[in-house]
Amino acid sequence: MVAEKKTRAPIYVTLSDVERAYKKVEEFQRLIERGKTTEQIFKDILKLIQVDK
Amino acid sequence: MISDLLQTILKIATDCNIPIVLIGGLALPAYNVARTTLDIDICIYLISQEELNQFIEALNQNEISTVQKPKINHNLFTVFGKLGEAEIWLKPCDAFHWDEQMVEKIHNFFDNVYVLAVEDYILTKLGRSDRSSIDISDILKIIIANKDELDWKYLRFRLKRMDLESDFKEILKGFRLDFNNNLRNISKEILDKFKN
Repeated sequence: MVAEKKTRAPIYVTLSDVERAYKKVEEFQRLIERGKTTEQIFKDILKLIQVDK
Repeated sequence: MISDLLQTILKIATDCNIPIVLIGGLALPAYNVARTTLDIDICIYLISQEELNQFIEALNQNEISTVQKPKINHNLFTVFGKLGEAEIWLKPCDAFHWDEQMVEKIHNFFDNVYVLAVEDYILTKLGRSDRSSIDISDILKIIIANKDELDWKYLRFRLKRMDLESDFKEILKGFRLDFNNNLRNISKEILDKFKN
């Protein structure tokens, strides 16, 4: 069980963080425009976790 | 077909009438965002130890077990199937518990896969005691990808209630930086939407 901490890490967002976030959102939207569904993307990510029988 | 372990857990919860949602990185595609993750994080809504015991018993019958002795007031427990493991949370985040409004706002991703409302999901990332730069990066992406769909009033309500408004404003400072440097209208829109 995770013990609750009193303080969280401070937040410091840089311009690069925001620019990277925009880029990642655009990449995701491109996948959708090419015909991938959010469900397919979810299943693709899940494949990384799965262990073959 | 999704992972056997995940599918089995989702089916058991559905059969037991237990609200269950994906949380963590695996839930991100439901919010039009994606990144790789190696964790299966699931959250269930239970109100009694008896319900929890029944759920664990149902998991055991399907060869999914835990070496812990989960109690209803715990944050989470880990379960192991033949081919993998998953963390099952008893509250959406270690910083706060379920409430009825949060449960009502659960929405369907596809088939029997459900997720939290996007606003509540943001709170799980912002509120966690061990939040990291990955959580902040996820929040930035979620805000950008969902700026028109977000219920900003509900988000503000939640942020205030969880005492996380100042933390969220720190994130918004990034959009201010972006607008000042890149004149990106979306960043301005996000800032305006939070204000209104």
